[in-house]
Amino acid sequence: MSGADLPSLFLENAAKAAAGTHLLSGAGALREILARIVPPDAKVYCPGVTEIERAVAAFFPNRVADYAGATVTVEEVFGAVAETGSLVCASEGGRAVQAGLLPPHHVAIVRRGKIFVTLDSLFSAVAAAPPTNLTLVTGPSRTADIELTLAIGVHGPERLDIVVV
Amino acid sequence: MSHGQTTLRFRENSARAVRDDTLRAAMRHAADTFGAKRADAFAPVADVEGLRDRASAIRDEVLSNLPMYVERFAASATRAGATVHRAKDAAAAREIIGCILAERGAKRIVKGKSMVSEEVELNAHLEEAGMEVVETDLGEYIIQLEGEAPSHIIVPAIHKNRRQVGNLFAGHLGVPYTDDPQALTKIARIALREKFLAADAGISGANFAAADTGSLVLFTNEGNGRMVTTLPPLHVAILSIEKVIPSLADLPAFIRLLPRSATGQPITSYVSVITGTRKPGDATGATELHIVLLDNGRSGILGGESKDILKCIRCGACMNVCPVYRTVGGHSYGWTYPGPMGLILTTLLTGMAKSHPVLDASTLCGACEEVCPVRIPLVRLILQLRGRKVREGFPDSMERRGMALFGKAAASPFLFALGQRLAGIFWPVARVLGGKDVARRMPAPAKIPFRRKTP
Repeated sequence: MSGADLPSLFLENAAKAAAGTHLLSGAGALREILARIVPPDAKVYCPGVTEIERAVAAFFPNRVADYAGATVTVEEVFGAVAETGSLVCASEGGRAVQAGLLPPHHVAIVRRGKIFVTLDSLFSAVAAAPPTNLTLVTGPSRTADIELTLAIGVHGPERLDIVVV
Repeated sequence: MSHGQTTLRFRENSARAVRDDTLRAAMRHAADTFGAKRADAFAPVADVEGLRDRASAIRDEVLSNLPMYVERFAASATRAGATVHRAKDAAAAREIIGCILAERGAKRIVKGKSMVSEEVELNAHLEEAGMEVVETDLGEYIIQLEGEAPSHIIVPAIHKNRRQVGNLFAGHLGVPYTDDPQALTKIARIALREKFLAADAGISGANFAAADTGSLVLFTNEGNGRMVTTLPPLHVAILSIEKVIPSLADLPAFIRLLPRSATGQPITSYVSVITGTRKPGDATGATELHIVLLDNGRSGILGGESKDILKCIRCGACMNVCPVYRTVGGHSYGWTYPGPMGLILTTLLTGMAKSHPVLDASTLCGACEEVCPVRIPLVRLILQLRGRKVREGFPDSMERRGMALFGKAAASPFLFALGQRLAGIFWPVARVLGGKDVARRMPAPAKIPFRRKTP
């Protein structure tokens, strides 16, 4: 698999799981895409752990410090898996793992260099020293517990957007 | 809550179930939906059979060296900051968990879906000790409000339709009646969010436990599993010993097989890998993690002819294709685990004396074996247990006397011919007196017996 195809394959599989997908072309485009995804009146939680997060935090004047009260979390995640269209969310670097779980809308930024081709390549990379919490996130929270009818947004986000940069 | 085992009443339970049209419609719908979705999910996968072989080989390897892998898991989990407990039986598991929670003054408990916790009847024990235990999986939440047990290991409230759930929520939660599944889901989200944020402790099960890293692995779709295991300061996980896999690197095979086999999804929304407690520098995660490894008779199964049932990864595929399960539903089996894998495990874990009628709950058609992702020889296991049932003297006395009588008659040409004659005469009478059940089950004897047609 060539490096250029990997982001497309990942986003294609993520879209099948009902995630919104966005592939960034230029450096300036991130602000535009986020402005399109995040509603202007949203209460945004952006942890500011990574360089990208510190840069995008400035786009949102309406920021909140506690993710439990946010309507949107915008964060960079550990990585992704192309095979399954999954985000890899991890607790490394002092990141709150529930920030992407509690608010109704999760916007995840993935650097294209951190997309693993398969589940095997991810788990062989982390097996030596797994973080306390590592979660594969594939699409929004869902259930079919009532008459097997799909319902979105049970306990986790009802909307998931992924931006590959 | 305690429901008590009713496996000995399997026949009465299923007779009641087949008269319940709502239940039968729900079961049929579920079985058909899951069957079709499962096939669709596997269609694009290259080399499904190779994948099943690999998963089966990993499970075989674990069972061949189970005590070693369990030891290794316990050591790795301890190194990662967890406290590992070994529970010999259900009573010990209840006692251990009750003590952990009581010693820390935990009153409000949120719980993720765990069949093992149903097996040990954990909720009733904790509620007796004055704790509030809230099931947070939507299906489990529904049946907890209703005071019922799960009827399916993947979709616990499969036997309830949307109107029943609507009435239940309106009655218990003080919300206006709705039968829209999306609206009902939202109602549960709001009610349970409060419980999550206020909880003193979370209890979860685990789908797998990796021996090399001491990690617990949970597959969920709703996100409740992530909350139960990371929001409260105290996390207690209960799992049975055979859930161990050698390495985290073995996990991909099961990620590819379990959700596809269970719900027809390529992967569940969430697959969580939890390794120990919150470390320095971590912002979240439980500060205390207790892992309770339940034996409850499994070590005994390991040495015997039924060992292969411990390969099971609890996907429920065998149930969805089983003609008996589809007809009688999960509650008829009378214990925690229904369907083909369930009747085997029930007999082994609770004993022949408490469960033998459920061994009839199979037509031996083999559909279960065809879909089992880890290639458990379910038909062989059922036949072996039926053999054991006879050797241990468990067929009811009617069956035994009937068989003895037939044995005598079949040994004598005269008695056999007489029996055939009598059957022809009494058959119409038996049909009328026996009612619909007998009329349907009892085939008409041939006008001229086969024996007289052959020279």
